Parts: sequence; C-alpha cells; structure tokens
Amino acid sequence: MVKQDLIERSPVRNFEKSLGGGVKAGEIGVIASKKGLGKTSILVQLGIDKLLQGSTVVHVSFNQQADHVMTWYEDIFNELAKKKNLDKASDVKAELVRNRVVLNFNQDSVKTTQVIKTVKALAEGGSKTGAVIIDGFDFAKAIPESMDQMKSFAKEAGINIWYSANIEAAEKGLPASLKKFEKDLDIVLFLEPKSDCIQIKVLKEHDRNDYTTDLKLDVKTLLIAEK
Amino acid sequence: MAYDISKMRNIGISAHIDSGKTTLSERILFYCNKIHAIHEVRGKDGVGAVMDGMELERERGITIQSASTQVQWKDYTINVIDTPGHVDFTIEVERSLRVLDGAILVLCSVGGVQSQSITVDRQLKRYHVPRIAFINKCDRTGANPLKVRMQLREKLGLNAYMMQLPIGLEDKIEGVVDLIAMKAVYFEGEGGTEMRIAEIPAHLVADAKKYREELLDAASMFSDELAEAYLEGAETEDMINAAIRKGTLAEQFVPVFLGSAYKNKGIQCMLDGVTKFLPDPTEVKNIALDLDKNEEQVELTCDEKSNTVALGFKLEDGKYGQLTYVRIYQGMIKKGDELYNTRARKRFKVGRLVRMHSSEMQDITEGVPGDIVALFGIECASGDTFCGGGLNYAMSSMFVPNPVIDLSITPKDKKSSDQMAKALNRFTKEDPTFHCYVDPESNQTIIQGMGELHLEVYVERMKREYNCEVETGKPQVAYREALTQRADFNYTHKKQTGGSGQYARVAGFIEPISEKDYEFVDAIKGGSIPNEFIPSCDKGFKESLKKGALIGFPIVGVRATINDGQFHPVDSSDIAFQIAAIGGFREAYLKAKPAILEPIMKVSIEGPQEFQGNIFGLINQRRGIILSSTEDEAFTRVDAEVPLSEMFGFSTILRSSTQGKAEYSMEFAKYGKVPNAVAETLIKEYEAKRRAEQK
Repeated sequence: MVKQDLIERSPVRNFEKSLGGGVKAGEIGVIASKKGLGKTSILVQLGIDKLLQGSTVVHVSFNQQADHVMTWYEDIFNELAKKKNLDKASDVKAELVRNRVVLNFNQDSVKTTQVIKTVKALAEGGSKTGAVIIDGFDFAKAIPESMDQMKSFAKEAGINIWYSANIEAAEKGLPASLKKFEKDLDIVLFLEPKSDCIQIKVLKEHDRNDYTTDLKLDVKTLLIAEK
Repeated sequence: MAYDISKMRNIGISAHIDSGKTTLSERILFYCNKIHAIHEVRGKDGVGAVMDGMELERERGITIQSASTQVQWKDYTINVIDTPGHVDFTIEVERSLRVLDGAILVLCSVGGVQSQSITVDRQLKRYHVPRIAFINKCDRTGANPLKVRMQLREKLGLNAYMMQLPIGLEDKIEGVVDLIAMKAVYFEGEGGTEMRIAEIPAHLVADAKKYREELLDAASMFSDELAEAYLEGAETEDMINAAIRKGTLAEQFVPVFLGSAYKNKGIQCMLDGVTKFLPDPTEVKNIALDLDKNEEQVELTCDEKSNTVALGFKLEDGKYGQLTYVRIYQGMIKKGDELYNTRARKRFKVGRLVRMHSSEMQDITEGVPGDIVALFGIECASGDTFCGGGLNYAMSSMFVPNPVIDLSITPKDKKSSDQMAKALNRFTKEDPTFHCYVDPESNQTIIQGMGELHLEVYVERMKREYNCEVETGKPQVAYREALTQRADFNYTHKKQTGGSGQYARVAGFIEPISEKDYEFVDAIKGGSIPNEFIPSCDKGFKESLKKGALIGFPIVGVRATINDGQFHPVDSSDIAFQIAAIGGFREAYLKAKPAILEPIMKVSIEGPQEFQGNIFGLINQRRGIILSSTEDEAFTRVDAEVPLSEMFGFSTILRSSTQGKAEYSMEFAKYGKVPNAVAETLIKEYEAKRRAEQK
C-alpha cells in the first residue's frame, strides 16, 4: 500500500465523518477520560494522520518527556505501517519526523501564552503549522483566559487543536473542569471502557450534545478500530 | 605489601563542562593530603591544577585527557580518573568508563541536568557504572539542589534521594545536614579541613525529618531487615548504609550529596559516600572474550591467584618513553613478568612499573588485582589487552564511532614535517577516533576526527608538544556516496595489440544494501570466470568504492554481484579482471542513480527562554530539523538534527545571537541524504576542482 491509500483508508476518515467533519481549522477538540484509556494514543493517531497529509504538527506535552512522545509516534506508526503493509515505510517515517516538533512544558511555570509564543516562533522560521496537539494539560488548574487565547490563536493561524483532559467518571454533560471553557470547545469526546473495546462517546460536537457513536478503540493496540 | 581489595575503589568523575569537575578532583587530592596547596584551574598563581597535565588544558580551562591518580582516604585506596567533559572527546570518556567501577556524577546546582549530563549519564548506563551524584557549586547565586534532585529523577530517570540538606545556600553555605546520622556538619578552618559536628539548626529540623523519611522509605526497598527495623523505629546507621549500598550497586538508587568544591564544603562527606556506597573491584562483573574459543564470553575473577588479564586504557607520552595506564582485572602484574598482548600477538617483559599521581610517579614492584598502574616503554595501542599464563583474552571491544570531519594539514617547514609524522603516529595510537592518511591525489595529509574542536586540539598539541607548525585547510565534512537503485553492467577489458595482451569480461549488477558497507556475491555458474580470478573482481570493486564519481568520496552500502564473464586462456590475468571489474562498476554506477550522504549531528542547545526564537531560527537556517523543545521555568532546551556541514563555526554564532548565554553539544547521529540543490553545488565544486587540477 502506498502513502495515499494509508491516508484515504485511515480510520481517522470515519472518525471525522462521525463527528460532523471533525475539528476544522480554527477549532478546538478535547478527548476526555480516565487515565490509561488511550487519549494519547488517539492524539498521536490524529497527529500521524495530519503528518501523512503533509501538514506540520506541533505536539505539546505537559506530562511526558519529549523522548517518550517520540516513542509513541514511532510505535503507532510502525503498527500502522505493519498492518497496512506500507511501501517504503522508513522513507515515509523520515518525512513525518521532519514535519513534527515535540514541545515539552511544565504547566506550573509555563502559561498558555508562552505555548502560543513558542508555536509562533517555530512557524516563523519554518513551514506553517497545520495542527497542534496538546497532551496532559490540566484543565482544572488552567486560568479562564487560557482557552480564549488558544481559540483566537487557532482562528488567526487557521490551525486545528486537539487537547486531552483527565477526568474521572462521566457525568451528564460536560465535566466540571471543562464546563467553564465550553464556548471555546467545538468537540468534546469521552472514552468509556466496555468489556471488549473502548467506546468513544460524544459530549459535545458543534451544536449537538450527548450522543453515542460507533467509534471504538481496539483494547489491545489502542488504535481507532476500523469499521 | 598487604592490600585489601574491599578497601579499593576505582572511580571516575563525570560531568557537564564547567560543572567544576577539575576543581573537585583537586579538592579530593587535597583532602587526601596528596598536595599541600590548592590551586585553581585558571590559577592566578600560574601553578594550575595538578590533574590537568597538559599546558593546553590550563589555557583553555578544560580537561582534555584523563589522568589517573591514586589517593588514600582514611584506610581506603581510591584511584581517581579525571574524565574530559567536552563532547568532542567522548571517546576519552568512554575509555575511562570502561575501567571504572563507580562514578561521581557532578552537577551544577544552578544549571542542573544539562545536555552533557544526559550524554555522560547515558554512557554510564551503557557500561553499567553505579554512581553517586554530587551537586556542586552550591555557593553560586540561584543554587537549588532540590530542583537538581528532581531533574535527576525526571530527566535522567534516576532514583535519586538526598543524603544531605544544605545549611545555608549561595554565599551563606556553611555546611550540610547528614540525613543518616541526623547531625549538622560544618566545614571550618583553612580549606574547610576541620569538620565540626553539631545539632541540626532548629529551622531545618522539620525538613530534615521529611527528607530522612523519604530516604528511608526508598532505602527500605532494598533491605527487608531495614524495612522491619524501620517500622519498629529501630533502624541503625549501618543498616541504612547497607541498604543504600545494595540499591546503588544494582543501579537502582542514586544517593545525592551536595556542597561546593570551590568553597571547600561537603567534599569529605562525599568521599565517605564513595567508600560507603560505590563498589570495590570484586563487586563488579567483568567480561572478557576468549579469542581461542571464538570470542566466547568469560567472566573474570578479581583474584591474585588467577592468570593475569589487564587492559591498557590510556597511553601517554612521557619524558622517558611511552607510558601505558593499565587496569588489572585479575591476577597480578609483577616487575619482570612476561605478558602477552593479544591484539598485537606479541610477548613483552614488564620493565618499570609505576603508580601515578597526576604527573608525579612512584615506582612499585607489583600491581594487585583491581588496581590501576602504569607500565613503561610498552609498545602497544590504547585498548589492548595484556594476558599472562597462556590466556588469550580480549576485553570486549569498545564502541568506536567513525570520524565525521576531515582537515588537511601541511607542515610549514622541513623540521615540522619530520615531527608531524611522529606526532600523528602517537595520536592515532592514543585515540581510536583520530585517523590520518595521505590523499594520493593532492598528496596532502588529512586528519579525521569527531568535530572541529577535536581536530583543533590535536593541531595545538602538535605545535606545543612536538614543536611542529602546520597550516590547516578548511574543515571538510566526510561525505559518502550511495546507490539508490540496482543497475547492470557487462564490461569487456581488452588490450591485445602486440606483446602480452589483457583480456577479461565481467557481467553482473550492483544494488544498494543498508546493513553493510560492501558485499561481494559470486554467482558465476559453469566457470565462465575461473575461480582464480574471482578475488580479482572483488578487489576491483573494492578499489572502485574508494572514490565515487559524484564528488570523490567513498561509496557505501553496495552489493556487487557477478553472474557472467569470459576469459582468454593466455591473455587473462589478475590485473585484467581487476580492471574489468572497475570498468563494470563505472559503467553501472551512474545508472544506479547515486546520491550523496552527509553526516547528520544530534544537536542540543540550551539557553534562557527568551532566546528560544533565535535558537529555532539558527536551526532552521542550517537545514536543521527541530525534534523537540523542553521548557522549564526560565530555561529552554532544543534538540535538533542538523547536517554537520552547516555546523562550522556554530559556537561563535550561537554565542553572539544569545549574548553568550546559550550553549550546545553535538554528537554524530546518522548519515542522511543531501538535498538535491546542495548535491548539485557539491558536484559542481568537485568538477571545478578536478578541472583545475588537470590544468
């Protein structure tokens, strides 16, 4: 299989279709769940999908060292390449790495404005950023303006942004830590463990709220399951 | 002489550049009463530190070569190996690590875990060297040992625990709180030699309790005895020490000491830590390869009755000839013994045997197992193994990276040219990452090494030690050429006009491979090329690989297969087939769409956060790829991959664009394809050069 097929037949296409087109330019999405259900895995899959399409992806991690993040990409890419029997996998990988930047911050000392400044500084010298992925951001600790700032940056630069959020059991509607940012969030997903898979539920998608999709994660690989 | 192996320590001091490693070594010598006055590295008195033997090091304020020296601390014998910190010299570091049993990882209390700390820590891990950490420079403004401890955990993944707390910081540092004895230790008197033990100051009692508890919880993991005693509140100092030692030896625990070498605080406690927690030579497993049994691994026993196995890990050119530093792994080395150099396959007699204290030495008659001694006048290269009693062992080969940079040198006068040969001969023996050869075309001497600074230092050493002045060319990146696809050839070499003729035809194909530099496959059926001429073809291909047609650099990653050919009963010869193979290769090479490869370096840059944009810019201008960036409070660390050819003069540019506040380190990562635009320029330059030479 060549790279183009990998993009077209990616489960991410179905993922986006089920979510009203997914997170578009200038929008913000959040994947929320308990620890260890596959938030980072989904983020990395979305990141790889963007990279395959030739966009530059900035992966911001607040809780993991840069090396670990790179290992995530490496593992998930290898898994995908193996599953789809990708041609010239190592060339494709080298190309992806070239367009990916991993940033590692400590949330206690680095504010959202600083993150935005860094992403802008990166874009100045190199190619335009297509997507920003933010893992391990603690919404409970975040100051109220932070999401407004991020949102206006996303709109201004025309990029899409995915966050992950740690939350405990799902309540009805948005969890408290996300509630205060509701107006800036376009999509909020929730991962729910089932006996044989991890189900992706939608808490908010543009104007729709609280519905279940047929999107699932494979429990073994934590990859988005194909239909 | 009676000796006790359990009271022997072979330790190294590893650190980021400028963490005060050499100063610390100095202080260790001082406290062990070996030297009577303390000199600073950049001494105002012009005496200079004792450990840095070479003048050049004094001038640059960095330590280039590791000198081994022996000291006595209480009833312990400690061999201290001072290791260089700059990354261009990592082969020196790695060589020293090979013979260490334990290490002190020195960190700056302000800079914390810096890019090089990560490199040296990785090296320590590779050689499984247990370590203790020493947070130095606690007298500096902004000192924060507890933050550094957290970085040890987060950045290096070490299970690090404070053994001490500071009493006062920055310019007010007076001493440390010992968390095991729960006492305060003050360092007083001239040179901090008088240790005063006192009660813990009231304002530190709560913190001390908290950190002691943390320490004991962690230490309990390694000893059930301690865990039980701790529950009952009956733990003893010995129990705690034993548990920490066990954890440290297993590389699962890192005790953290702190102080200031410059202000003479905390060194004695750290030395006690060395004796308490780092292993003696019998506690470290050492493996050798038995060359008689196809390199089978054998474990060495640190016992004086075993046959001798020793490793020559460092050469030095002294006034009286070549001095070889040797680590004895098992058995003894006695004056007059006969030993066998397993690499050179030569026997030699041990003449003079000495023990080194930096540049002073002491004659001895025997070396005991586990010890580090120096031999005089032994003809050998660094990394050679010496065996006694008919053994034929080699200590496992050390990891030696290939050189990535070339520099042409031309002696300025006749005298220099004689000396140059001598100097180069010595350097190549001393340093396996330093190569040299004479380019047959330009007739210039080319030296190769791991970086600009690496080669600069050797040029300086030639001048100082050998009085040999050379002119250097522009540093040249060691490019490679490689095939990108398979191509066939069918070439006939014929010269049959009068006299004895030459005739050979060779057919086959070449293709790219990634695992090896070169492979030759003989797929001839039916004897179309007689067996005697097959090696000639192989030789011809090898010859072709030395110089690619694109820019004249070696070709790598080639599999050459021959599957057909023809010979003449009279006119075919070895040389005819070599020429045919060369011709065949030339014919196929351009069809195989060759590409130029260049060395790509892994570069880490660290600096204040405000310069992040500049750092990104510098990398982007240099065809670099930013891999990641880590921000912590006011500091940013950027990791990137940048082609070596773009890194010349980088230190100056980095300094000027960050007001001298950022620093960088780099090491070889891989060979990568040169972008087309750059490749075209290189090819044009090469062609212009060739044309100029032909005129």
